[in-house]
Amino acid sequence: MNIWFITMKDGKDIADFAVDYGTKKGANYIEARYVDSRDEGYTTRNGALIGGGIVNTQGIAIRVLADGGIGFCSTAKLEKDHVKKAIELAIKMAKASKRKEPIIFSEEDVVKTKWSTPVKQNIADISEEEKIKFVYDLDKTLVSQDYGESLVTRTLMLNLNDVKKYIHNSEGSQIESEKSLIFFYTFNTAKGTLGTEQRFNGMGGSMGWEWFEEENIVEKVILDNEALVKTAINAKEMKLGEIDVIVSGEVAGIIAHENTGHPSEGDRILGREGAQAGESFYIDLLKDQKLGEIKIGSECVNLIDDPTLPGSAGFYLYDDECVKARPRYLIKNGLINEVLLNREFAYKFETKSNASSRSMGYDREPLIRMANTYFGPGDHNIEELFEDVKKGIYMKSFTEWNIDDRRFQSKYVGLEAYLIEDGVLTDKMVRRPILELTTFGLYGSVDAITKDAEFPMGHCGKSDPGQGAPCWMGGSQVRMRNIRLGGE
Amino acid sequence: MSNNFTEKALEVAQKEGATEVIARLVEGPNYQIRFSNSNIDISKQWDQSMLEVFIAIGKQITQVDIQDPTIPKIEQIVKQATNFAKRMPDSQLYATMESKKQSYKAIDGLYDKTIETFPEKAPEMVNVAIEKALEVGAKRAAGVLYFGKTRSELLTSYGNSGSYDTSFYRMTIRSFVDFESSGQDVVVGRNMSNIEKKFSEAGENAGKLAKMAVGGKQGKAGKYDLILSPTVGGNLFGQITDGANPLMLLLNMSPLGDHIGEQITPEDFHVVDDPHISEGLGSKPFDVEGTPTSKTPIIQNGVLVGLIHNTTSGIMMQTESTGNSNLTGFFGSGSKFLAPEPTNMVYSKGDYSLDEIIAESKKPTIYVTSNWYTRYTNMIEGEFSTIPRDGMFLIEDGEIKKPVRKLRISENLLKMSKRVEAIGKDRKQIQWWEVYTPTFIPTIKIADCNITAATQ
Repeated sequence: MNIWFITMKDGKDIADFAVDYGTKKGANYIEARYVDSRDEGYTTRNGALIGGGIVNTQGIAIRVLADGGIGFCSTAKLEKDHVKKAIELAIKMAKASKRKEPIIFSEEDVVKTKWSTPVKQNIADISEEEKIKFVYDLDKTLVSQDYGESLVTRTLMLNLNDVKKYIHNSEGSQIESEKSLIFFYTFNTAKGTLGTEQRFNGMGGSMGWEWFEEENIVEKVILDNEALVKTAINAKEMKLGEIDVIVSGEVAGIIAHENTGHPSEGDRILGREGAQAGESFYIDLLKDQKLGEIKIGSECVNLIDDPTLPGSAGFYLYDDECVKARPRYLIKNGLINEVLLNREFAYKFETKSNASSRSMGYDREPLIRMANTYFGPGDHNIEELFEDVKKGIYMKSFTEWNIDDRRFQSKYVGLEAYLIEDGVLTDKMVRRPILELTTFGLYGSVDAITKDAEFPMGHCGKSDPGQGAPCWMGGSQVRMRNIRLGGE
Repeated sequence: MSNNFTEKALEVAQKEGATEVIARLVEGPNYQIRFSNSNIDISKQWDQSMLEVFIAIGKQITQVDIQDPTIPKIEQIVKQATNFAKRMPDSQLYATMESKKQSYKAIDGLYDKTIETFPEKAPEMVNVAIEKALEVGAKRAAGVLYFGKTRSELLTSYGNSGSYDTSFYRMTIRSFVDFESSGQDVVVGRNMSNIEKKFSEAGENAGKLAKMAVGGKQGKAGKYDLILSPTVGGNLFGQITDGANPLMLLLNMSPLGDHIGEQITPEDFHVVDDPHISEGLGSKPFDVEGTPTSKTPIIQNGVLVGLIHNTTSGIMMQTESTGNSNLTGFFGSGSKFLAPEPTNMVYSKGDYSLDEIIAESKKPTIYVTSNWYTRYTNMIEGEFSTIPRDGMFLIEDGEIKKPVRKLRISENLLKMSKRVEAIGKDRKQIQWWEVYTPTFIPTIKIADCNITAATQ
């Protein structure tokens, strides 16, 4: 039985109507984004259900440009009269902005197309019982491991998300899409000899139910928790002085996201996130240097943000301003090469948008967001990275992290970390090593990168109200030379 | 207003076999104006109308949100959700809900009717704040203003019902003299009178702080006493008081686990969860189960004396609900459940003005006016770090000597709370990006804190 009264066709019709009506009412630009989303979630604690549910949401976002200002209205009331009122109000609010400097969007191609994530097993076709059983069984599997008793609390969260969208703008672009996303999170506490260790771990991809099997999720969760327990039992505090540090794709990924992805956001650079997510140290560099010429790290450092990675959490083929997605080469051979732009900021940077505009719901404005940010590959294997290290650590995972709001001073605390001695990775575990470095300090110390890659998932936070955007953040393993560990 | 939506939700759920049901309708337009570089970037209106329905069949539970409810929509969605609940295992976190028939006392001052005309006036008021910031020395200002009105209507299957109206505003303004010299202020409330003056003062405070921050240099890592503005205290102490919640304890997300009944701060430190303050953005006469809200002492004379509760957590911990039940969830709207949630956290005022606290700071002390990105190594231990942003000032021999930058507070929540040295009398309400729970808190001074900086 279809309980939803608005079909995709109805949604498209109302969006088409909105664009037509807004244009007639004098908007210089209008964009109508109809969103039909289905969110399903189950949370367990120590093998018992806390809560579960399915929420369907349908609504329309209206964004207009009028007299140089932007107005935005969203409503779930999809009758024409309501939508007309929303458009009139959006135009009125845009005009009331009375900006000294008008907002202008970059010129982009008109696109009419459809895209979707390839799905083998639709999540809506899997029974609730099977989904809950999966979570229950995984918890039992964790408990049954040799280390199971040490996992004193286990919170497992399964979230399944399907978003159908139709975007129509007054320039004639019309894009219909469907994206299926699966997320699996664990927040577990392991008890060991020195106390407890905790880990929040997120995995996710834009696939159907087949994601669990194809990505070996159960095996990954088992290994992850084994490492957590091992850390709680074995890790020892060590005073290491100046050493070499090798970080896994997971740690490299959070560095790529925080130290490069965020400061690369055009809206931050030019101040639009000033009171919320902050600004960017790139503005200092851009005063007297150009993109493509600013050295930020060693020549082997390449950082890419790519929404088109198949199966990725941040996957899309067209952004929420109807611009075709492509990989963005943020750092190329150690030089800042490109920044993330939507149409508003592409105009300010005197270029084209690189399709970085995303919105996380019908009631949220599209913003410049990362998609999948990663450390590009080098030409080594991990053993080669160890071989050249006399004394160092290998940081496989991280716990606490933060960075200032200009994205310059970062801190990453290691969770699973091992000592490297005389070119050999030992089984001696280092407790909570701290990388507290500037962005230049980090990238300038990199001397080698592996060929392999991994892609953990995170929800990128930005703006107010916050919009948690699913992203992959990962890439290859990275060696940094002569690092003074912090926090002492 | 409701067109019997709540009644219909109960009727459908019960007909399908639900044993306990909550229906809450929340309606009202909310607005936002975002600004940066002293210009309005976007003005928004959210035309909100949402029916939240919680359904229990014994201990099998689910919850569903219905946007823009209509009777046919409710009939079909609630029927489907009730049948979904039948397929759920029992919830570990659900025993029952408020079952006694309750009556509620209205809270004066939750609604100011002048909010009706404020949307017309709002852009001008934003510009008042911006202009004031510029007037006192800032070169540009950024920020966000939220405002609106909400009507909440509740009906439960135990016959508890009620409704209330609220108005609210919340503005954050951050001013800049240059890219690294900034200051921020937050102004929050429900009463719209003197709004121009309030916004002007916020702009002035932010602008002055930005100007004071000019010329700041990299600070030195080490041990310092810290003076935390209400904005910073609301975030850091909020990590402790928000942890006075059985849900957080159960999930090992609170540092308070073994400390109930212990002295966790000096004796002159008191905190209460108070849902009855007119201006409090968390104020309400009843919770989502229909339990009347009440004041709940959290820290009294420095001792952790209480937790907030809903009916289920009260049963689990052999006590009564404190009227703090709400629908909450982790990572996705699909799995909301009933759990305790704070209303307004209210910290007692002390005796000192900010000037007096500064004057009495003879050891090297840092005054931190804003912070962000608080993260934990371990939530049970309370090991965390956070990053000061905006104006931060080094105090020596009782005087502000110079602005400093690029430092990090790396501390432990409970160790830090025991070292509270002075409490200000300048209490104000904070709610912004980094402080989710509305918090009334004064300036607080803490001795001997660990400050770190990037090593290279």
